[in-house]
Amino acid sequence: MRTGKSERKTVGSERKNAGLGLNNVRLEMKISLPLYKIAYSLCFTVILSMIRGVILTYEIGISMEAPMALLALVFCADTYVQEITGRRSEVWRLYPMKNKLASMALRMGIQEGMLFLLSAAGYGMFILIQRPLSLYTAGESTENEWSMFLGFLLAMFVTLWFWGMFSAVLSCLLRSQWAGIGCGLVLWLVTNSTFGKAVLGDWNLFSYTFRDIENGGDLSWLWGKALCAGLCVIMALLAPQIMRKRG
Amino acid sequence: MSIKIKDLTVTFKNNVTAIDHADLEIPGGIYGLLGENGAGKTTLMRVLTTVLRPAGGAVSLDGIIYCEGNYPKIQKKIGYLPQEIDLYPNLTLQECLEYMGALSGIPKDKCRERIRYYLEKTNLTQHRRKKMRQLSGGMKRRAGLIQALLSEPEFLIVDEPTTGLDPEERIRIRNLLVDFSENRTVLFSTHVVEDLTAVCSQLAVMKKGKFLYSGSMKELLRETAGHVWTCHMADERQARELERKYHVSSKQFSENGMEIRLISRERPEIQCAPAQPTLEDAYIYIDRRSSLTK
Repeated sequence: MRTGKSERKTVGSERKNAGLGLNNVRLEMKISLPLYKIAYSLCFTVILSMIRGVILTYEIGISMEAPMALLALVFCADTYVQEITGRRSEVWRLYPMKNKLASMALRMGIQEGMLFLLSAAGYGMFILIQRPLSLYTAGESTENEWSMFLGFLLAMFVTLWFWGMFSAVLSCLLRSQWAGIGCGLVLWLVTNSTFGKAVLGDWNLFSYTFRDIENGGDLSWLWGKALCAGLCVIMALLAPQIMRKRG
Repeated sequence: MSIKIKDLTVTFKNNVTAIDHADLEIPGGIYGLLGENGAGKTTLMRVLTTVLRPAGGAVSLDGIIYCEGNYPKIQKKIGYLPQEIDLYPNLTLQECLEYMGALSGIPKDKCRERIRYYLEKTNLTQHRRKKMRQLSGGMKRRAGLIQALLSEPEFLIVDEPTTGLDPEERIRIRNLLVDFSENRTVLFSTHVVEDLTAVCSQLAVMKKGKFLYSGSMKELLRETAGHVWTCHMADERQARELERKYHVSSKQFSENGMEIRLISRERPEIQCAPAQPTLEDAYIYIDRRSSLTK
């Protein structure tokens, strides 16, 4: 007969053993990062760093934010919807919501991680391929290259999360990857425009792109990124309901 | 475990009624669901798996009423093999089953043990390291069945599980389902009559969203007895003529031309002999009962 303590220990180890552990990261990577997705995202970043001309280093972030957001929009659209197109969603419906959400969070994390690394690598490719001039080195700016790069990473982290999550949630809601991408594209076009800049100002989803580049100390673009982060939280809270109703 | 369906109605957005005020009770063991394409079998199964919400009526599983609040409790008890399912093409068979087992919340060790057992039972052990996209249609079907069995559900719903299987595998799967159905309920939907004859003692026949029959196989055959006739025709042309007058349940070439089985209330006006009804005859009899004039 088991003692209370040993029973608790067994239940604990069973819980640890059940569900989506670290071992599943490998499987989720195989599911959410097929070869074709890695190939097109790599090509996209390399080509972008080659054809989008930059003269000064602070232009790299401006050149990358919106295109990488577009890449995230396409890249993450199938996060859940592949279960619908693969006709597995009816089986998924029987799984506990906690496990489904854990799996989706893992897939999003893997994809966003990949896009984030790609953005960082893309920044480096811009420097290597186009050799832009540094205003800091020339003594015309107080913002050094590293702080500029960290600012870029922070902005990209939020931007990629927002656009990736937006397309994944929207695709699930509309039960179509293409509908999700299409609707996302409309928002992308509206916000990434002079109209969007004029109307939304610092609260624009692309506030980093539209920031005052001549004033390195101006951090008002963080409002736009805070809005993106807030919208991500709202989408994360809505995800279980959307999966229940539309999954 | 028993499932009770009362006055169930399912209507789609385009006003098509897929299930029309249907009543059914599914007891333990294997229960067959037979019907032509579009009869409403898959719709019924989608209601039972909580995928579809009915427009009216009530469904209960072991006394638990189907409603939003009870869905998680019900979903835990169900295993489902849909008619079509594309399992993860980039994963190997073993990985795919481990992944789906983990999603079900099965402890890893137990999951691996069950995967080993069911791979053996479905003759897939030697293919476990192959990617899902490399498997044949029949192998994928068997893999789909394993994912449904993995959580050892109290209520297993299988939609045409033997599609694409060769005769030997068909028998293997039927035997597996018979073993599995001990102390459990298995709803086995198919339009392959032979499968049901081999495994079910109880069945329901559906047509246009209604149950034409529900009960024991024996009773169905007893009802059909006396309405099945066999005769011989010299060639296909004569057989065609006969088809215009009677409901033909089967035609087979034989030494004497063509052996034909007819469904008729009265003895046909040709040289024929009464025959023992098969489930196929019974299905046609039930299906066309109202239009049988003779």
